Amino acid sequence: MTLLQLAWKNISGNGLRSWVVALCALLVAAFALFATLLLRGAATSLELAADRLGADIVVVPEGAQADIEGALLMGAPAHFWMPEETVRALGAIPGVEAVSPQVYLSTLLNASCCSVSEMFMIAYDPATDFTVRPWLQKRLPEGLGLGEVIGGDYIFATEGEDGILVYSALLKLKGNLEPTGTGLDQSVFLTLETAREVARISEEYAEEPLIIPPDQVSAVLLRSGPGVSTEELAVEIYRSVPGVYPIQSDNLFSSSRTQLRSLLNTVVVVMALIWPLAIVLIGMVYLMAANERRRELGVMRALGATRRYVSRSLLAEASLLAFCGASTGVFLAVLAIYLFRRLIVSSLGVPFLLPSPGSLILQVGIGLLLAMGSVFLAALLPAVRISRQDPAVAMRE
Amino acid sequence: MIRLENVSKSYRLGKGNDVHAVSDVSLEIGAGESVALVGRSGSGKTTLLNLAAGLTRPTAGRVTFDGVELWKLSDAEQSHLRNQRIGFVFQFPSLLPTLTVLENVFFPTTLGANGHGVDAMGRAKELLGRVGLADKLAAYPRQLSAGQQQRVVIARSLINRPEVLMADEPTSNLDERTETEIMELFHDLHISLGLAFLLVTHTRQLVSPGMRTVEMAAGRIVSGAAG
Repeated sequence: MTLLQLAWKNISGNGLRSWVVALCALLVAAFALFATLLLRGAATSLELAADRLGADIVVVPEGAQADIEGALLMGAPAHFWMPEETVRALGAIPGVEAVSPQVYLSTLLNASCCSVSEMFMIAYDPATDFTVRPWLQKRLPEGLGLGEVIGGDYIFATEGEDGILVYSALLKLKGNLEPTGTGLDQSVFLTLETAREVARISEEYAEEPLIIPPDQVSAVLLRSGPGVSTEELAVEIYRSVPGVYPIQSDNLFSSSRTQLRSLLNTVVVVMALIWPLAIVLIGMVYLMAANERRRELGVMRALGATRRYVSRSLLAEASLLAFCGASTGVFLAVLAIYLFRRLIVSSLGVPFLLPSPGSLILQVGIGLLLAMGSVFLAALLPAVRISRQDPAVAMRE
Repeated sequence: MIRLENVSKSYRLGKGNDVHAVSDVSLEIGAGESVALVGRSGSGKTTLLNLAAGLTRPTAGRVTFDGVELWKLSDAEQSHLRNQRIGFVFQFPSLLPTLTVLENVFFPTTLGANGHGVDAMGRAKELLGRVGLADKLAAYPRQLSAGQQQRVVIARSLINRPEVLMADEPTSNLDERTETEIMELFHDLHISLGLAFLLVTHTRQLVSPGMRTVEMAAGRIVSGAAG
C-alpha cells in the first residue's frame, strides 16, 4: 500500500472533514482563477482595442468622450458629429503627421431592412486611412471595395454565404477580424463611399433612411510625427481647435481602465480576506483531525512509521484533497467564464476576451498551484506537530 | 535481549507538578522469555512497557535492545527496530479504521524499507486464518466485535516475524470467554513461535504458569526484577 493509497482511504473514510477541506480548496482556486481570467481578459481586450485603433490621438466632438468609449468597447451605437473642416484644421497643426476621418453609424433596431440590429458601423476614408489598413492588409491585401465590409469576430453573413443586409443594401462580408473582446467584435468596417451608397439606397428602400450629415465626420484619428509628445500635441489641439476633445490612445478607455482598477482592488481585497481565512480554516480542520487521530497516528508510529512517514501521510491526504477540490474549482471557474462571459461583460461594463489555450493552461496551473499550496501550507504545521509527538503520549487518552 | 538500566520516567503536568511514572527501574527480558508485568492501575506498568519498546524517552537511565542503546538511534532506525523486531497489542482498539482487516494486518510490512509483496499478503491471510478470521479479510474494523478486533491486532503484531511480543492489557475490553481465548492464543504463539513475550496486566489470573512475574507499585519494581 502506497502513501497515496493510504491517504485516499483516509479521505474516503472521513467524509465531512474531506468535504470541508476540498471545498476550501475549491473556493480559493475558483475565485482566484475566475478573477484572474476576468481581469486579464479585460486588460488584454483593452490593449487589443487600443492597438487596433492604431492612432496616437483620437479627436471627437467635445462631450462625446464617453460615447466613443461605449461604442468601441461595448459596441453601443454612437452618433456624434463635427465639421469636416476639423480634419484640415487638425492636419495643419505642427507635429501632426497624418489625420484620417471616421464616420460612426449604426443599423436600425428590429427593422426588416437590417439583418443585424443596432450594429455599430465604422466608415473610414481609404485615401487618408492609416489605422484600418495595416490590420486589414493581413486579411484583405486589396482593401475593401464598394459594397464590401469586413466584420468583427461576432459578425456573420445573414443573406446567403456572404451577404449582410444593411438599410436594404446587400453588402458583401469579406471576412472577419481577430477577436478583441470589445464592441469592435460586433462592428463592421466599410469605406465612406460604401456608407454613402448605403445611405442613398436607404432613402428609397429602408424603413428609415441612413443619415450621414453632409460635411460632417464623427472622429478624426491622428498620428503624431517622430519625437513629438502626444501629450503636448493633445494640449495644442484642445487649445487651437474649438469644440473638439483630443483623447490620447494611452488615456483611451480611461473609464474602463478605472473600472478595471477598482475591480482589481476589490478582487485583491476579497482574495486577501478569503485566502488567509481558507488557510486558517483548513489549518484548524487539520489540527482537529490530527488531534482526533492522535491515537491512530501514535499506533502507526508504534508499528514502525517514522515521523517523516506520518507527516507525509497527512500532507499526502491534504494534497489529494486540495487537488480534487482545486481541480473542480478550476473547472467551474472556466465553465462560468465561458458560459456567462456576455452577462459578466454587460453587468460589469468592461470588455472581455477569452484567453488563448496556452494562456488558459498557464492560468489554470497557477490557480491549481495556489490552492494546493494553500492547503499544503495549512496542513504543514499540524502534520509536523503531530508527527513529533511521543508515540506513547499520542496513544494515551 | 531488552535491558532497562536505572530507568526513570517523569511527566510534567504543570509548573512544579512532576509525576514520576517509573522510578529507577532495572529489568532484563531475555530472548524467548515470557514476562508478566503486574500491579495496580497507575503503578507504572504501561510506562515501563513503552520505555522497553522505545515508545517514550526515559527521563533517566538506559534502554538497550541487543546491546544497542535505543535512544542513540535515529528516528528511522528506532522505527525500523519497532517495525521488524517488536509486535504490539494494545488495550484500546488499535486497528486503522479506514483499512480492511487484511490491509490492517499487512500494513506494518508497507512501512519497512523493502515494502510489502505477495509474500506479505499471503502471510497476512495465513495469520488471519490462524486467529480464526479467514472469512473476515474484506471487513472493516467497525464491522467486527471487540474480540475479533483484538485477534486482528494479534495477527498484525506477528506479520513481520518479531522477536518480542508486547501486550498491554490486551483483554481489558473483552468478556471473560473471549479473554480466555485470547490468552490461550498468546500462550500458543509464545510456545510455537518462540517469541519473547511481555504482558502487562492487572489481573494475576491471566499470568500463565511458567511466566516470570514482575510486580510493580508506585513506579518501582517490588518483586521479580531478576530473571
